[in-house]
Amino acid sequence: MSEQDVVTVRGLFKAYGKRIVVDGLDLDVRAGEIVGLAGANGAGKTTTVECIQGLRKPDAGVLRVLGYNPVTQGAKLRPLIGSQLQDSALPDRLRVAEAIDLFTTPTARDGGELLEQFGLSRRRRSAFSSLSGGERQRLFLVLALLNRPRLVILDELTQGLDPAARRNVWAAVRQLHEGGTTVLLVTHEMDEAEELCGRIIAMRDGRILDSGTPAELIDRHARRATVRFSLPEAGASLLEQLRRIEGVQDVELTGTRVTLGGDRRMIAYVGAALVSWGPVPPDLGVHVPDLEDALLRLLENDQAAATPVIHAQAELIGGRQ
Amino acid sequence: MSTTFGKLVKTELKLMMRDPLVLTFVFAFPVVTMLILGGAFGSKPTPGFQNTNPAHWYVASYLTVVIAATGLVMLPVHLASYRDRGVLRRFTAAGFPRWSFAIAQLITGLVTTAVSCGLLLLVAWPVYGIPAVHDAWRVAVALLLGAVAFVSIGVLLGSVLPSARSAQAVGLLLFFPSFLLGAGGPPPDVMGSIVKKVADPLPLTLLTNAVREPWLGLGTATGSLIAIAALAVVATVIAARRTAL
Repeated sequence: MSEQDVVTVRGLFKAYGKRIVVDGLDLDVRAGEIVGLAGANGAGKTTTVECIQGLRKPDAGVLRVLGYNPVTQGAKLRPLIGSQLQDSALPDRLRVAEAIDLFTTPTARDGGELLEQFGLSRRRRSAFSSLSGGERQRLFLVLALLNRPRLVILDELTQGLDPAARRNVWAAVRQLHEGGTTVLLVTHEMDEAEELCGRIIAMRDGRILDSGTPAELIDRHARRATVRFSLPEAGASLLEQLRRIEGVQDVELTGTRVTLGGDRRMIAYVGAALVSWGPVPPDLGVHVPDLEDALLRLLENDQAAATPVIHAQAELIGGRQ
Repeated sequence: MSTTFGKLVKTELKLMMRDPLVLTFVFAFPVVTMLILGGAFGSKPTPGFQNTNPAHWYVASYLTVVIAATGLVMLPVHLASYRDRGVLRRFTAAGFPRWSFAIAQLITGLVTTAVSCGLLLLVAWPVYGIPAVHDAWRVAVALLLGAVAFVSIGVLLGSVLPSARSAQAVGLLLFFPSFLLGAGGPPPDVMGSIVKKVADPLPLTLLTNAVREPWLGLGTATGSLIAIAALAVVATVIAARRTAL
């Protein structure tokens, strides 16, 4: 572990009864990074971050967070972490200003400023139970950022927020990053991960499937782009010309509708060809693969690899039908 | 008291005073039932009340009702609801030591009990008068030990019961029989022998004896006091272990 490592996890294993939730996970987060943990429900993301915070005791594995062992030194570690937890709450009758006061430490930022930044200053005297879902989420963020944490753990960061509030929260996370704070983000929102994270770790069944920058993951798992348009006189010779365009892997014709699939670079060459042939079709549509496509493909491939028998059976049943 | 812990206790006290369950069950219920039962049997000393004024009998008994309501109903519901809704996780993640929450509940429970007992005496005073305290030290020790015992039981119940609803069900199931047989119901002399056999070993009966007898000069109730002291120690140790103090 170097001085740059904020989180180091080796061989983390956690089971609830017979159900294995985290299965031998290795994870490193370096200072100043924004790392996203992504994956389907039940992938073990929340349990992993709970173990990192010392809120759950792992069954096996070695963890080091900000130089502390979360299992034995949780009380020293937790004040250094700002966290916004999934499925947590504050007492119903606690007012917003009281929550700020209760959670403030001597080195804290100005709570009033944070409330202003997240649009909660007019709700200072409101009880927690009277806040909307989005307001509660924003209050949790304010509390997570209040004490100048060295590591911020955000679980389902923008759940329940409207688009404007989401942008606001993203800006706050970027601001944190610029200030050198390390962020570990658990999310289902791939646009959020793509927007914020320098590195994404894709998980399934408590294991890491792959990790990398959003661009690397897209490149590895979802390279295929699609271009669609209609050509009233799409004949065999035109299809042949389309097939010869660089990067095009397959061409499909349904009525007058043409669908081209292939490498992302194909989009530029197809566009150039269409321009040179005459008026560009008005219904031209392009699908560029994004992180969501990459993650879905990654999960599908892993599922297929994990259950060859089931797939074979499914194909067999399909064949009989 | 560290600043963080002090803030937690202060906040918890504020929240308790805003809780409708606390206001009705710990503050209003004992006062109202004491007023009704205190007036039901008149104020002439009668053999059924060991030749004491029945109204005074109930005034001296009802402080323990407050203690039982706090320990068996208020605290379990409050704590189980916090755990059920993820409030405890939120506090732990924010760096509050695990022990601080249980101790804060203990202090909150004791303060709530003290305030409610004061209120009960304040209401009883102009209506029935406050009976003279024959052995103030024994009464004070019994009240303190009883409060520690029942508040610890409350913290324990709150830490093992899975939800606020189950805590409410179990708490009420424990509270009402104890209340009717051990403190706020009919005097022991009018109970049948089987009911009396059930009532006698109940913690609330023992506590009420330990408070009422030295208060009204009916005896010392040393046996009951020792039993309550033992209960206070056992309940506190188990509650402390359970809440990982």
